[in-house]
Amino acid sequence: MQDFEQQLRDALARKEQPPYFEAKVLAATRRQPKPVFLRWAFATASALLIAAGIWTDHRAGIQAKEQLELALRVTVTELGKVQRTVRASTEEE
Amino acid sequence: MPTAGAATEANVECPPNMTFAELLRANQSMVFSLAYHFLRDRGAAEEVAQDVFLRLHGKLDDLADSRHVVFWLRKVTSHRCIDYARKRGSQFTIALDDTSEPSVASQPGDPLLNRRLQQLIAALPEKPRMVMVLRYQEDLTPEEISEVLEMPVRTVKSHLHRSLAMLREKIERSMGDIR
Repeated sequence: MQDFEQQLRDALARKEQPPYFEAKVLAATRRQPKPVFLRWAFATASALLIAAGIWTDHRAGIQAKEQLELALRVTVTELGKVQRTVRASTEEE
Repeated sequence: MPTAGAATEANVECPPNMTFAELLRANQSMVFSLAYHFLRDRGAAEEVAQDVFLRLHGKLDDLADSRHVVFWLRKVTSHRCIDYARKRGSQFTIALDDTSEPSVASQPGDPLLNRRLQQLIAALPEKPRMVMVLRYQEDLTPEEISEVLEMPVRTVKSHLHRSLAMLREKIERSMGDIR
């Protein structure tokens, strides 16, 4: 029985793979498409970057609007002062 | 009856945290040989082995350590071989005399007897054939084979018992014819 089992082990001894096998598999792994979760991660990251860009632009717009409003208020106040001065000097004459 | 064999050796060859290239180098002979002994077709064995390693590449993060990888490789190779043989079905012809033997460092035993045994094993139905290959190539115990092939231990033992009886009878008959 043991002899027969040894004969079977000899017949089914491990074989050598072809010599190019390792290089072929490694090359194929480089050609493999990226896993689905990676593609999702890239898509999500891109969407977040775009959204962040839009948000930054939006914030910059609001700040510019606020600065313009402040400048206009200052201008209106100054014009009011000038107008009052002009009116006072006209009445004195 | 089980001996300290290839299963244990393969684990020793694979310490935890190996890279994919290291795992490939350590296990390519095991995976290719399982496919070759089962399919008896060098091209098909290469195709199956490559497919198994590509699947491993995509799955490496999910496997706990290299020891788990060896079990996973045996399991996926066995199932992939059985599927491959079933898909080919009747188109699949085993042309043993046409195929060149892959090299082996020093094939022990009688070459003629080895060839006859390989032919007889190749003629077994798929599951008993894979049980024999896992038992005598990888030296797995019936319990380990039952885990790899997801079948009850009793079924594994029954396949082994019947296949051994059949092979022994056919080999004795062949030897009688030669004499």
